[in-house]
Amino acid sequence: MLGFLSARQTGLEDPLRLRRAESTRRVLGLELNKDRDVERIHGGGINTLDIEPVEGRYMLSGGSDGVIVLYDLENSSRQSYYTCKAVCSIGRDHPDVHRYSVETVQWYPHDTGMFTSSSFDKTLKVWDTNTLQTADVFNFEETVYSHHMSPVSTKHCLVAVGTRGPKVQLCDLKSGSCSHILQVVFAGHRQEILAVSWSPRYDYILATASADSRVKLWDVRRASGCLITLDQHNGKKSQAVESANTAHNGKVNGLCFTSDGLHLLTVGTDNRMRLWNSSNGENTLVNYGKVCNNSKKGLKFTVSCGCSSEFVFVPYGSTIAVYTVYSGEQITMLKGHYKTVDCCVFQSNFQELYSGSRDCNILAWVPSLYEPVPDDDETTTKSQLNPAFEDAWSSSDEEG
Amino acid sequence: MSWKRHHLIPETFGVKRRRKRGPVESDPLRGEPELMQLFPRGLFEDALPPIVLRSQVYSLVPDRTVADRQLKELQEQGEIRIVQLGFDLDAHGIIFTEDYRTRVCDCVLKACDGRPYAGAVQKFLASVLPACGDLSFQQDQMTQTFGFRDSEITHLVNAGVLTVRDAGSWWLAVPGAGRFIKYFVKGRQAVLSMVRKAKYRELLLSELLGRRAPVVVRLGLTYHVHDLIGAQLVDCISTTSGTLLRLPET
Repeated sequence: MLGFLSARQTGLEDPLRLRRAESTRRVLGLELNKDRDVERIHGGGINTLDIEPVEGRYMLSGGSDGVIVLYDLENSSRQSYYTCKAVCSIGRDHPDVHRYSVETVQWYPHDTGMFTSSSFDKTLKVWDTNTLQTADVFNFEETVYSHHMSPVSTKHCLVAVGTRGPKVQLCDLKSGSCSHILQVVFAGHRQEILAVSWSPRYDYILATASADSRVKLWDVRRASGCLITLDQHNGKKSQAVESANTAHNGKVNGLCFTSDGLHLLTVGTDNRMRLWNSSNGENTLVNYGKVCNNSKKGLKFTVSCGCSSEFVFVPYGSTIAVYTVYSGEQITMLKGHYKTVDCCVFQSNFQELYSGSRDCNILAWVPSLYEPVPDDDETTTKSQLNPAFEDAWSSSDEEG
Repeated sequence: MSWKRHHLIPETFGVKRRRKRGPVESDPLRGEPELMQLFPRGLFEDALPPIVLRSQVYSLVPDRTVADRQLKELQEQGEIRIVQLGFDLDAHGIIFTEDYRTRVCDCVLKACDGRPYAGAVQKFLASVLPACGDLSFQQDQMTQTFGFRDSEITHLVNAGVLTVRDAGSWWLAVPGAGRFIKYFVKGRQAVLSMVRKAKYRELLLSELLGRRAPVVVRLGLTYHVHDLIGAQLVDCISTTSGTLLRLPET
């Protein structure tokens, strides 16, 4: 690393190279650390986590008890031992709390003044963070599995919502209407939509994953139908057999774009994870092996950002499996939770991973640092003496 | 902490000297003849070409993505055909193209001499096989590009060369593969149950191969073990006494 630093100083190498190399090294050293903790507030399993993209400081969590908690991740105490405290929470006593389990929470992408949450009680609620009141509620006919708002878009404020029905609905935050529906009778989805995700590269591209084994890419400006249905066998494209194209051999549970938006990762209940080229829908055939997936609803996984070879963190039973995205190699399994892990998020500024599971815990996986060098002070010799054995008598000289 | 993650660190930093690793790029084409030897031809009286499964190739080549890409190259060159075996959507059988052609020719033509199938099958083998290397065929491809009529397609399905996948699309199939699939599924369950019944649900590989195969296992223990390891139905752990096969907890 000293070589990198001196190369950067003399201008031989791009500064980004040192940053990426060090980020990769830190991600490879992720482990549980006794010094880092997240305060336990939830009484039920944690379904979703989201870290705000502006500063990476505040984290929202949504649980199966309907409670939403806001955590401050920043360590402002000078000590190494730190518990991430809950700043505020929308608990069961709040008048507007969700009645059933909260499935997805997401910060408003441009600032932390607002966040959205969707739940099995068939609503999508928009909250004001400072007053913790609902600014708007959208009601649907079916339970909501997932929602997502575009992280890059400045031209629209659409929230894509995936419900138990086969239609993908778009809610407009500016006008408060949820009338835009993406459904075309022949080419739309046929069963519940388990995951939706906007592309981080283009404003209008949306990917949806459904229990009918299909993943579709849509341009929301185009009313006539989806752009591409992903086909795992990369067969010849022809209009007549769009209906036979399946992305997985089971339900497709989770979707995640890579941070540059050029590739899309999908996981399905056939225990496979696939990497797709998001511009032409081609299966890159990277083989990750068996990625155990028994989840009946969506599985939220995440991709690292800023490393030289990107990593994907997928909940695998009660552990989290880490793979390199483009070569499919399994790096490690992070073991620590007691029950099934449901969601994980990556904080790219400090290369930390937070994961939530059904055992009501959020664990923080921190890059393992070097052991602190013991101080060479005189204070240590004094403090070695147990205060119980310390002499409580004053010195006889003073008393005279 | 897994040792595996650290090999990425020297690559990233580029300062440490790379240790010479053994031949990582092992060619599936070399591995396949070995696997083909394991296939018991005598069992099917030479009616079936030797079939190897994709999971068996994974057990020989450590990096799956590389194995997939090399198999795809071989498929594009026309050396092998990949066939969908019915019992599991993920299980693909790999057959050398010449073997497929000779066996199908012999067995189908012997079985249906004089019947209307023969012409359709000949036409299929001559025109479609070399042209299209995919696993499946679509309606318009068959009728327009290759000029098959619906009745001829029905003959092909009856002869066992095609299997119905969906309305208007078909998988390529091996005629007479039904018996193979039956023995395979039963044999796989039997070998898995051998591991399951062991104490602590784990067995040393040498011990497993040394045991007498139960009657149900007609294709040979080694054949099934390669498939189980490649399909990740057992975890393969290296110990000081050799490789240990353990059932995964999930």
